[in-house]
Amino acid sequence: MSAAEQFLLRHPGVVRLGVIVAILIVWEIAARWFIDPLFIAPPSRVIASLGAVWQTNGVPAALRLTLFELAVAFAIAVAIGLTVGLAVGLQPFARRSLAPIILLLYGLPQITILPLFILYFGIGAASKIAFGVTHGMFPIMLAIIAGVQNLKPVLLTSARSMGASRWHILRYVIFPHMIPSFFAGMRLGMTGVLLGVLLAELYVSTAGIGHFTTMFTENFDPTKLFGLIAMLAAMAIVLNEIVRRAEIHFSRWR
Amino acid sequence: MTARDAAVRIKGVSHQFGAAGDTQYVRALADTSLDIARGELLCLIGPSGCGKSTLLNVIGGLMTPSSGSVEVAAKPVRGPMPHDIAFVFQEHALFPWNTVIENVRLGMLFQGVPKSEHAARAKKSLEAVGLTEFANHYPSQLSGGMRQRAALARALSLETDILLMDEPFAALDEQTRMILGEDLSVLLARTEKTIVFVTHSLGEAVFLADRVAVFSARPGTIKKIMRVDEPHPRRPDFVTSEKFTALRNELYALLHDEIRKTVSESARSED
Repeated sequence: MSAAEQFLLRHPGVVRLGVIVAILIVWEIAARWFIDPLFIAPPSRVIASLGAVWQTNGVPAALRLTLFELAVAFAIAVAIGLTVGLAVGLQPFARRSLAPIILLLYGLPQITILPLFILYFGIGAASKIAFGVTHGMFPIMLAIIAGVQNLKPVLLTSARSMGASRWHILRYVIFPHMIPSFFAGMRLGMTGVLLGVLLAELYVSTAGIGHFTTMFTENFDPTKLFGLIAMLAAMAIVLNEIVRRAEIHFSRWR
Repeated sequence: MTARDAAVRIKGVSHQFGAAGDTQYVRALADTSLDIARGELLCLIGPSGCGKSTLLNVIGGLMTPSSGSVEVAAKPVRGPMPHDIAFVFQEHALFPWNTVIENVRLGMLFQGVPKSEHAARAKKSLEAVGLTEFANHYPSQLSGGMRQRAALARALSLETDILLMDEPFAALDEQTRMILGEDLSVLLARTEKTIVFVTHSLGEAVFLADRVAVFSARPGTIKKIMRVDEPHPRRPDFVTSEKFTALRNELYALLHDEIRKTVSESARSED
């Protein structure tokens, strides 16, 4: 094996960066010389346009609104997912009777009932939050149900033998045990919330990122459209990274 | 043995799983009575499924027997008695998300030991099992033998008079078991705890026990009690003595028929 190969094997980050740069170069070339500029903008111009996008009347407010909707929807999804997940997961009977229902609801393509959400919650932020919640809470529930399930009985028995109270068992045995699955669920839930909120925004809205995405598309302004998507992607990456960092922090024992 | 000398009194304990007629119905333990003296190490040995672990759980209040009763320190056992009894389980009973010392402290927290005593007691019990240097390791970073030492340290820190051990060394290799057995004997000689120790290993039983209770095949009950008159701490060369070999052979003879019975019965139920 050559020295260069060995270097690359030890530094996967270098390869990762290389792939990203290669994609950007192909994209740049394709957008500049081969594809109709009405449909795609080269990355260099997208980056250059970020300032203009930011200064477009209403965009900063739209980003703030979307971020707000995401945060609220995520918080609600985690609260519901955690509560229902624990209630169902900790009780073998509840798990056998109710978990299939949750699985079924999760499998349902919710996009088909999006109009109902608009009908019930209006065209404002509430319907986006609600749609985000229903997309985010099921994966969290399922992850927690699965996580609580594989707790070794001997850990509960041994806690009980040492005099642990119900609260002790919840706090020191069940919670730490389900932290890894809780975080796995949170990351899936975050993806779900992002999807739900943005779908609802794209469907009908007067504000938020979805509104501007629709507007830039209809005006054949791909540069700004891609700029906005880049901002959105950055937002999603940051949110995911926060959850991932927290996960690493709480999973040191593994 | 009078009531005062007995640390544990087992009175006519029977236990069955499921109701008569069920496919799952198993008579695990039949009418077992026994007094366990203060400061003795009693080994329970018998064929698989003879109810020795069931009896241990009944003594520890983790299981309520179908009939009969157990008294610990002259009190009837109705549930876990964390101030009188500590357990050491087979394996993996340490909380994997806590370090060794956190595991030990958590046991004390559950039992209700005042926080101010935690540090000193944890240090003492980790020293007793020789794990001081590994206090801040997670269980996944330890060998099987070290994990069981940590579990023992957790049980010792609870400072109970009685220690119940459910095949604590079963998952370990022969050599590690031998060393842990020797260390346990030394520890026992120092602490004067009453220990009930479930095992499958003839050698382990003879090496550790003051008395060995031999169980019959299912439904299990005590078939015979064998006495091992040898002071603790037992020396490693006890294993090579004629006395040890004779006792081990006696135990083997007692067990052999029961194990045969269990094996042929399970073969029949598989038909």
